[in-house]
Amino acid sequence: MSQIAWMINLIPDAMLNWIYWLIIAAGVTGVLAGWIGKWIPFYGNYVKILQPVGIILLVLGVWLRGGYDTEMMWRAKVAEAEARVAAAEQKSQETNTVIEQKVVEKTKVIKGKTEYITQYLDREVVKKEEIIKYIEQCPVPKEIIDIHNQAADINKAAEGKK
Amino acid sequence: MKYIILSLAVFLAACSTAPVTQKFPDVPKALVERCESLRKIEGDKVAITEMLKVVVQNYGMYYECAAKVDGWNDWYLEQKRIYESVK
Repeated sequence: MSQIAWMINLIPDAMLNWIYWLIIAAGVTGVLAGWIGKWIPFYGNYVKILQPVGIILLVLGVWLRGGYDTEMMWRAKVAEAEARVAAAEQKSQETNTVIEQKVVEKTKVIKGKTEYITQYLDREVVKKEEIIKYIEQCPVPKEIIDIHNQAADINKAAEGKK
Repeated sequence: MKYIILSLAVFLAACSTAPVTQKFPDVPKALVERCESLRKIEGDKVAITEMLKVVVQNYGMYYECAAKVDGWNDWYLEQKRIYESVK
């Protein structure tokens, strides 16, 4: 049945609408002609054929017209859903842009601040007398450096590299 | 043979996909960059200021990575909200 519906979909909607109305009109004409024909001489022989054909056409026409309305309703719903999805995709893109800008801006500030502190250390801190004296007298023991470096590699243990 | 081809064509016509599908949202490029590995202190005899510099850089890298994680959380929550608004 769905194959037939699909094939019918290939016919333009406006034309389909007209065809269904023509079937209904033909059915009504057939039923009326069958009913009136009883009183017309020589025409009575056709009544036996016209009336059932008219009824069949009328029922078929009404059924097809109902199907057409249902189809149109579903198409409208699909169009509405497509519009909502398109709007959501647009919103999603806009949100991505906002988030990207936020992350890029944050990263820029963090990098700038890190750079500033490092430069301050090189420019000011190392020139202070007590710091110079401390650096000369107390180099960082190798054990401390090793522990720091091990800590910097903790993630590798989790990755199974160490 | 021609009847088989015709009937196959008719049956295939019924194999239609769902009319409306929602695309999986893209991820901002800034979020898919991997976090850098922490820096290590080079050399055996190192001044405390050199060590401090590495520590400062590592702190900076942690916060850069944290910004990405926060970005992922924001992205997920926002995209979920948008996805649910379509239903």
